[in-house]
Amino acid sequence: MLEVSDLGIKFKMGKRRRSGALAFILERGSRNRQRPSGEFWALRHVSFAVERGETVGIIGSNGSGKSTLLRVVAGVYPPDEGKVSIGGEVSTLFGLGTGFNQELSGLDNIYLDGIMIGLTKNQIDGIVDDIIGFAELGDFIDMPVRTYSTGMRSRLGFAIAMHSDKDIVLIDEIMSAGDAAFRQKADAEMERIMGERTVLLVSHTMATIERFASKVIWLNKGALAAMGEPKGVIEQYLAASMVKKP
Amino acid sequence: MIEQLKNIWQRRELLWYIVKFQMKAENKNKVLGFVWSFLDPLLLLLVYIVLISIIFKRGGPDFPVLLFIALLSWRWFTSSLNRSVNSITSKAALVQSVRFPLAILPLSGIIIGFFDWLFGFAILVPMLFVPRFEVAFTLNILWLPVLLFIEFVGIVGACLLMAVLGTYLSDLGNIIRFLIRLGFYLSPILYSIKDVITSERLTRFYMLVNPFAGLLESYKNVMIRGAPPTEYALVGTAVACVVFLVGLWYFSRSEYKLVKAI
Repeated sequence: MLEVSDLGIKFKMGKRRRSGALAFILERGSRNRQRPSGEFWALRHVSFAVERGETVGIIGSNGSGKSTLLRVVAGVYPPDEGKVSIGGEVSTLFGLGTGFNQELSGLDNIYLDGIMIGLTKNQIDGIVDDIIGFAELGDFIDMPVRTYSTGMRSRLGFAIAMHSDKDIVLIDEIMSAGDAAFRQKADAEMERIMGERTVLLVSHTMATIERFASKVIWLNKGALAAMGEPKGVIEQYLAASMVKKP
Repeated sequence: MIEQLKNIWQRRELLWYIVKFQMKAENKNKVLGFVWSFLDPLLLLLVYIVLISIIFKRGGPDFPVLLFIALLSWRWFTSSLNRSVNSITSKAALVQSVRFPLAILPLSGIIIGFFDWLFGFAILVPMLFVPRFEVAFTLNILWLPVLLFIEFVGIVGACLLMAVLGTYLSDLGNIIRFLIRLGFYLSPILYSIKDVITSERLTRFYMLVNPFAGLLESYKNVMIRGAPPTEYALVGTAVACVVFLVGLWYFSRSEYKLVKAI
């Protein structure tokens, strides 16, 4: 379903990064260039395979490359090294509604996001009622997204990702969204699609990972630190980061 | 490069939706937004008529319509450029979570700009029938879609370039705004070339240096003066084609790197 072999993603620092033209000219003149240059590897020598229907938890401290890995699977970053082969379509709305247009209504955003991830208008027509129902937005669905609370926004994003009917679902820190009632519903939804779809789940909540994942990948500074049974890998990770298990 | 065009064509539904929803988001209030789409160019026109016709007492009887067609076409170019500069960085969250042809972002701005051109054109058409403006109707008006297409090709190239450069250079917007203002006064919009340059050689030199000038004079010729496009429109055509190819090549080359540079 998903096979990653010897993956490397490299970021350039300094020259290629965003900065002003004016700054560029001034720096030339001053001869005192303090900007760092060179490159760093956000991911390197990462290899793993995911079978159809598996739910894979991805853990690691901040900046360890978890989101970068999801972006590679989403096709946003092409690999600088190694290969990624994906046998299916990817639902890429893992940003939980970060791509929403603030001025548009929730309904318009459902269509925009749906088209974005490659659904057709007819397909969206078929699932739009389910999404609205699941997100529990009521009349707010016709209001601009800027009037939504954080929870409402996350709920809508989650609902779209879950209903998009793609083979691979990428989820980034989603389970913390919404109140207790919605979390229960979201958990139930997760259980429903488990086994049916392939899920990559990034979370800092170990309980969530333990509950859903059949396999866990621990990333440390862009390298694959460990992979395998959830319990064992989580214990190693927690031991390494010296955090007491709750 | 061909592949780039193919990819965009495959995702044309996405392009259309982005255009549709972007216009909807900009006109938050439906009725008011719609009215402003017409009022905007009209008020802009009035400002320049007051400046040139009333204060400076220049311009002939057909000045308002000459100005309007040139102004609309110039505005299409500049609004597209302005939008394209931050078209990718302003959608960073989207670009970093979904794979799609990034060229769709600057392209959507160009199409929105063309809708503004159409709104303005809808106001220009009844003005053409005002006898005071002495508009000559001929079949030369059929050149209009050709001129629009040439301009479109050039705008696409320029906007693709700006979308890439604007991602790397955060102050490109400031530079572009200055250049656009300068370009506005250096192009035959508020005036016609024959009003300011009498020498044949100087005209030729000016037209070769400013590729947009030939296009703008051609717009005026075919719409108002009932004449064919000037031969200098060929300069604009050549430049538009070159800019298009360079822009498409540069964008295709940089597309993947852009996402990492945001």
